[in-house]
Amino acid sequence: MDTVPTTENCRYCLMCRHVCPIGLVTHLETLTPHGWGLTIESVKRGLLTWNEETVNVLYSCADCGACRANCATDQPLPDAIASARAEVTAQQLAPAIVYEIGEILEQFENPYVKQTPEKMTGTGAVALFVGDEAHHLQPEAVQAARTLIHATGVTPVEIGIGRNNGYLASSLGFPETARKLAQATLDELRASGARKLLVLSPGDYFAFNQHLIERLGLAWPEEVELIELTSYLHDHSKAGRLTFTILEDTTPYAYVDPAHAARVPGGRAGARAILKAVLPIPARELFWRGERTHSVGSTALQFTQPHLADQLTFARLDDVAKSGAQVAVTEDAGTLYQLNRHAPRFGVRAQGLYELLAKNIQ
Amino acid sequence: MTLLFPSEMIRSELEEIVGEHFISVKETDKLIYSTDWSWMPQMWLDRGERLPAPDYIVHPGSAEEIAEILLIANKYHIPVVPWGGGSGTQGGALPLFGGILVDTKRMDKILEIDEKSLTVTAQAGINGQQLEWALNEKGLTLPHYAASSNCATLGGYLAPRGTGTVSTKYGKAEDLFLRMQVVLPTGEIIRTAHVPKHAAGPDWARLWLGAEGTFGIITEATMQVDYLPEARLLRAVLFDNLSNAIEAGRLLMTRRLEPFVIRLYDPESTRSQVKKVLGYEFDGAYMVIGFDGDPDIAALQEKKALEICTELGARDLGREPGEKWWEHRYDFYYPPKSLHLPWMYGTTETLTTYDQIEKLYWAEKKAVEEGFAEWNVKFIGHFSHWFHWGVMVYTRFIIEEPPADAQEALQLHNRVWNAAMTAVLENGGMINEHHGVGLKLGRYMRRQYGDAWPFLLRLKKMIDPNGIMNPGKTGF
Repeated sequence: MDTVPTTENCRYCLMCRHVCPIGLVTHLETLTPHGWGLTIESVKRGLLTWNEETVNVLYSCADCGACRANCATDQPLPDAIASARAEVTAQQLAPAIVYEIGEILEQFENPYVKQTPEKMTGTGAVALFVGDEAHHLQPEAVQAARTLIHATGVTPVEIGIGRNNGYLASSLGFPETARKLAQATLDELRASGARKLLVLSPGDYFAFNQHLIERLGLAWPEEVELIELTSYLHDHSKAGRLTFTILEDTTPYAYVDPAHAARVPGGRAGARAILKAVLPIPARELFWRGERTHSVGSTALQFTQPHLADQLTFARLDDVAKSGAQVAVTEDAGTLYQLNRHAPRFGVRAQGLYELLAKNIQ
Repeated sequence: MTLLFPSEMIRSELEEIVGEHFISVKETDKLIYSTDWSWMPQMWLDRGERLPAPDYIVHPGSAEEIAEILLIANKYHIPVVPWGGGSGTQGGALPLFGGILVDTKRMDKILEIDEKSLTVTAQAGINGQQLEWALNEKGLTLPHYAASSNCATLGGYLAPRGTGTVSTKYGKAEDLFLRMQVVLPTGEIIRTAHVPKHAAGPDWARLWLGAEGTFGIITEATMQVDYLPEARLLRAVLFDNLSNAIEAGRLLMTRRLEPFVIRLYDPESTRSQVKKVLGYEFDGAYMVIGFDGDPDIAALQEKKALEICTELGARDLGREPGEKWWEHRYDFYYPPKSLHLPWMYGTTETLTTYDQIEKLYWAEKKAVEEGFAEWNVKFIGHFSHWFHWGVMVYTRFIIEEPPADAQEALQLHNRVWNAAMTAVLENGGMINEHHGVGLKLGRYMRRQYGDAWPFLLRLKKMIDPNGIMNPGKTGF
């Protein structure tokens, strides 16, 4: 991918800095979209070289998509940064942890456990992409999702059980590994015969709807409709095919827009609506929501810059605490995992959306 | 990185003030902070040339920390460059002589929103758009809609006397200002009076409006806010005659119709910029007019305005071209729609009274177009900030094939600016209306103020005896 026009355009543009979560928590001009663009372009001009310091800058971008989502000319800066990371990894200049995770991804297809993905079984009209985050970090969410989908009269074929969707590898700078992972899922999808693929999070939606095509150069099968589970459930709920018991407890909840939410237009309307179906009082809205949503530290940053990743998660939990909510609810396993790690110190509790809904099906 | 002995001594002292996480001497940070949004340093880096960089980049967390930093700067006679969003177009934030760059963005707290008096008090490093979102949550707005709001800070609104899109009704940033806290170059922390309109002596609080960090660092400000308007009515009209269009704008203002926006593009801008960004192919001068607030009053104001425009020969284009402009008004600043390198460009915006504005516009256009015809220079402009007595014209020059050599390019840039500013000064104009003076226009300050300039120099000497604050800017 030719990323020159993007970094040329972004190096002196300041128009998305207000939505960059890294810029907000670090206050450092270098760690903003234009800082990354200018760093990459300065290396090309010989004003900087890739070394420990500049590579550290390059790996400080969360690859959350907020910059592009708020760009009037749709500059794919995260793709350009991933492309620069690929150059750096190829030159053996990336941090050691990058190669470590890259090797684990190559061998086990997920970064969390040394265990290869489970084989898919059966065929059907509807498939569910389980992925690695939900399978390994939040298995309760997968079970809850099964329960919810069954309640709509559907038994999906599960694919990608324990496999990364390819995004993590490309974000780290390993596009070939990313292609292999994404292709493996595409192969399973084809074998399943499904015409609908349900995904559990906006991260998975982005991975197949945009990342796979634009960053990896692969093709999505046109005959398959990609649907987020939250939208699917909301549609069934609206049609009266799925009903929930409203909670008696009036503990205030807040919906946390998951990682990559900025990359999926629509402001999480489906997730918000389905949450509303079980809450006795409206969920609190956070300051950083919808189009200006900020990610927790669940992207590649959790491996390359754990301190920075934690700062992002702290910021989200601080936002929840300031809203007066006591429960932070979200559907994405990776987001939930990060929220769970730190929630107690902010006096709040993290809750999976699917688990909450599954417990209250009528 | 390794520092020489005295540099490390100073770095250590600064670190003791702000903490180890809030000081940087890294090469990457130095390079990134060596440029702001002005064309000159961007071009310089684009051609692979290095710029003067700060020696230390600090992120203080309070006015008290800034005060201590300034004491160190005075002790060692080191320059201090305040930095907000870095979105200035005149090089006002460039660390020309190295020193300590004070990035204020860590000071980003909203301290109070007073919903009775309709004011907001915030630390000066808060991002403009984030402040706006926080106000919007309460149904309020800070009606300073600058094109740079996504990146500029509250301090950056005030320091160069910025103007936003809706200034025609709500005023410049300085008109929305009630009070501020400032750290003086000598390290004292002071506050201006609680309210701005009084008769308790001279209006000294305004000294820091337009000083661009040369008189100290603004650390907190209280601003007037408004309720979000119930209605915003926008429409566009097209004049075949720029003169009539300016007259229409004058009448809208002098008859007190209170438009929140009058954006008049000259025929060249209409042909190029409006077509490129909005997709309209109009022949003439495209004008967007807007009225807001109570829907009934706004509708009546719009009706009267439309009558004035049509009487002067305008064709009503309806709502869509007005609303589309409003929705996409900042798209003009996103690359590749914006002016961009390797082009050469400059915004020589100016203002004067209605009796001189046309003469000034044509004189500047002639000076630039005829003076630099060999470079195929383009001269475009729009009239966008209107007052009861006059109007600002946002004139710009563009050379799409400038010299490749950085030094030659900068020399040509300075020559074009010189021609434009000479025309401005000879025709009753100010050297700018809202972009500030920075580095680029400093050399015109003496000509702008004539006999008053030595007084300003004495004032600077008194406020900043060691000359540490943002040296080389605003002519100081």
